[in-house]
Amino acid sequence: MHRLPTLLSGIFLVFLTSWLGLVAYPALQLGALKPFADADSGTTFPPLLGGNAVAGQNVYASEGCVSCHSQQIRQTSVTHSDIERGWGKRPSVARDYLRNRTAFLGSSRLGQDISNVGVRQPDAKWYFMLLYRPSLVCEGSAMPSYSYLFKVRKIQGQRSNEALDLNASDAPAPDSEVLPSADAKNLVAYLLSLRHDYPLPEAPVKKEAAK
Amino acid sequence: MNNEHHHQPGEQDQENDKPLSPWLIGSFMLALLWGGLYLGFNSGGFRQDVYDSNAVNWAGGGTATAQAPDPKIVGKRLYSQNCLVCHQATGLGVAGQFPPLVGSEWVLSEGAHADNHLVLLLLNGNQGPMHVKGQAYNNAMPQWKQLSDDQIAAILTYIRSDWGNSASAIDSNFVAQIRKGDGSQSDPWTESQLLAVPPVKNSPPAASPAVK
Amino acid sequence: MSEDLFRLHHTENGHQGQEDADMRRIDASLRLPTIILFSNAIHWLVVAALLSVVLSVKLVFPGFLGGIGFLSYGRLAPTTRDLMLYGWATQASLAAGIWLMTRLCRRPLGGILLNTLIICATVLWNLAVLLGSLAILAGYSTGVEWLEYPNWASAMLFLSFLLIGIWALLLFDRRASGHPEVAQWYLVAGFCSFPWVYGTANLLLTWRPIQASAQGPIQSWFCGALLTLWLLTVSVAALYALLPRILGSRLHRRDLATLGFWMFLLLGSWSGMDRLIGGPVPAWMTSAGVVSGILFVIPVTIIAINLTGILRRGPNRNGFRPVYRFLTMGLFSLLALGVLEAISSIPCISGTLNLTGFSEAKYQLCILGAVSFPLFGVLYEALPGLIGRDCWCKALTNRHYWLAVAGLWLLFGLMILEGFFTGLALIDPTVTFLNITSYSYPFHLLECVAQLVLLAATVTLGINLTVALAGDYLFPKR
Repeated sequence: MHRLPTLLSGIFLVFLTSWLGLVAYPALQLGALKPFADADSGTTFPPLLGGNAVAGQNVYASEGCVSCHSQQIRQTSVTHSDIERGWGKRPSVARDYLRNRTAFLGSSRLGQDISNVGVRQPDAKWYFMLLYRPSLVCEGSAMPSYSYLFKVRKIQGQRSNEALDLNASDAPAPDSEVLPSADAKNLVAYLLSLRHDYPLPEAPVKKEAAK
Repeated sequence: MNNEHHHQPGEQDQENDKPLSPWLIGSFMLALLWGGLYLGFNSGGFRQDVYDSNAVNWAGGGTATAQAPDPKIVGKRLYSQNCLVCHQATGLGVAGQFPPLVGSEWVLSEGAHADNHLVLLLLNGNQGPMHVKGQAYNNAMPQWKQLSDDQIAAILTYIRSDWGNSASAIDSNFVAQIRKGDGSQSDPWTESQLLAVPPVKNSPPAASPAVK
Repeated sequence: MSEDLFRLHHTENGHQGQEDADMRRIDASLRLPTIILFSNAIHWLVVAALLSVVLSVKLVFPGFLGGIGFLSYGRLAPTTRDLMLYGWATQASLAAGIWLMTRLCRRPLGGILLNTLIICATVLWNLAVLLGSLAILAGYSTGVEWLEYPNWASAMLFLSFLLIGIWALLLFDRRASGHPEVAQWYLVAGFCSFPWVYGTANLLLTWRPIQASAQGPIQSWFCGALLTLWLLTVSVAALYALLPRILGSRLHRRDLATLGFWMFLLLGSWSGMDRLIGGPVPAWMTSAGVVSGILFVIPVTIIAINLTGILRRGPNRNGFRPVYRFLTMGLFSLLALGVLEAISSIPCISGTLNLTGFSEAKYQLCILGAVSFPLFGVLYEALPGLIGRDCWCKALTNRHYWLAVAGLWLLFGLMILEGFFTGLALIDPTVTFLNITSYSYPFHLLECVAQLVLLAATVTLGINLTVALAGDYLFPKR
């Protein structure tokens, strides 16, 4: 290890192990995964994202939602708690992130895990309220307000049906309405698309016991 | 520069360094051994599709954890794609042209008709007249050996359980067996040839197929 | 002024004068680049500390500075982390690495041209950090954790690192002395690893993103490799280079150091997988994360054996040597980190404590303790030589040290406890998430205090540095 080339070769070889295992292997194997055609329903999983949801990913990225929210239901060999808590029906696998531009796995749960939030909460209006002022739907939440994703304007004629249903006390002004901007709508479309509950060959979904 | 050899702090000091303690070597070796064993037994055979490190040991069998969808549902879809044109969605066929499947002794493996006859019929097709529920039909049935064992098993399971039919399921191992045996011929069966094949029943597996 | 640690001759025999002249030449060759790198790094450290305070207050009062896009938590948090990683830690490691390498190789860095090149690269680096941070705050983050800078900013960082780092490798090749030291191996490994790690990760995740199903392991690999293969290698090199010299003795069991070096690199490069234990990756990756995390305690133990074996004998050089304290605290943090890493890689513990404040605590211990303290040590040791006089104010240095120590351990302790309690609550499905948020509230409140202490520490360091440099450093008095 006296000469630079010898030392460099040694370092290169050691680096190569993790590069092969954690970079090349995922890129070649996991990166080549295709959507799974489901025999039962005739659709492919993961489902395609609609146009707004695709744009919504960029909003999710730029707002840094991944700083507080994770999108991974953990494997049962490590913990059952994610599934028991009702955050998902089955552990997440690599193929679940296929349709995304970025895999927002997350490393912190200051907020809830949202990998299946499209299934747990399918009401778009709830999300708009949450983004506008989290305390409206989640008392005591530490989530910040994203009111800058909304526009406040005077009601012109009739109330717009996109306007948030705010109480008089929460509304900014008596004759104003709060409308979501395009960013907010795209983000909510993306959140509604979040689901990891479909079965895959490597991730079967247990049928729930008949009630 | 000078005659004295000055030791750098990072250099070997042959005089003062004691030989490595065997305890130290031993514990390092043990740790590495543990690491290797743990990796060996908890990696799901290093398969790409095994995510649960407890589920499978590296001796193989990764797909054991994957549970197949309900064969009846798969079978219904395949029936619609392949069989429906002739035998109809009601399974009643077309009078004089295509035999019915509802209550058919071929489908239900009644009398002289056995499970393997049904499988062979699907694999190799039929030529010449055929009697179903006392009626004669003289249309050639094409062969379906291009379908996989799973698919044939699913279709047969489906037709044996819908429209009031009730017979045991056919599993894909049975189909595979038949395909290799009598089903390996290329010509379609005539009715007499088919019934001449000794009957074989598809004995149901010990556990019922996973219905998910 | 205190005697130069890197002198070979410590008795009066005439060679001292020659050596001192050599050392002054080496200092002169890297004076400006090193000082500029360190100053910029500390500037970003102060900014990051301030933003960390804002973030911790936001966790307690979500409405604090709320409703403003530029200052929302989701944008400030990545900005702060990237400032710590790239603004402070990488820049200071570059400065420390170059300084150590020139000293260890006993070769000056080069002439005016090389100095200019490095200073230009430094300007490029800081411009990238500044503009990249503003871009994140403006909403142009890439969304990939630890790689949020827009593509043009990360490309600038990559390029400027190459322009600075290549010289460290060339210095090693042309070094004066024959036997390389342990510290030099670590430095070579560190300077090789950043371009490789940063380049690969950016290429596959932000510049030309591959399919997202593959991104998880690559991103985690990057996080682990950045911390262990780049930042920790420079800090460990500082420990190996300076501690024996301060204590006037050779390494204890130096023959183990080779094994320790290679294991450190091997396991460190796999260490990122501890974030994904139980994650959406094939089972073997989870197991690899478990094994590499637990076995990482081996190279850390070897470093401990090499260096703590000599700590019993106190420093026997005269003069004010703040570097000793900082280095020992850095070493202690590294040992604690190794043990913590091993414990947190056990699957059932990872299942409970991963993704909580516990992971954050590990990260903070690494970046604030194991990485930053040795870098502070190098700064305190290097600057007097670089500007030619005893420049540090004892009182401020003391204050910086104690505030930094208090801040680090307070923050770390609080985050560990927070992680512990929230982790245990999370595995109980009957505890609602809002309840868990309220459990962590008192910890977040106290973490604000810890961040304020850290801010005080970094501000003290900033003042200390400003006072030290206020003397005319371009024309040192002799």
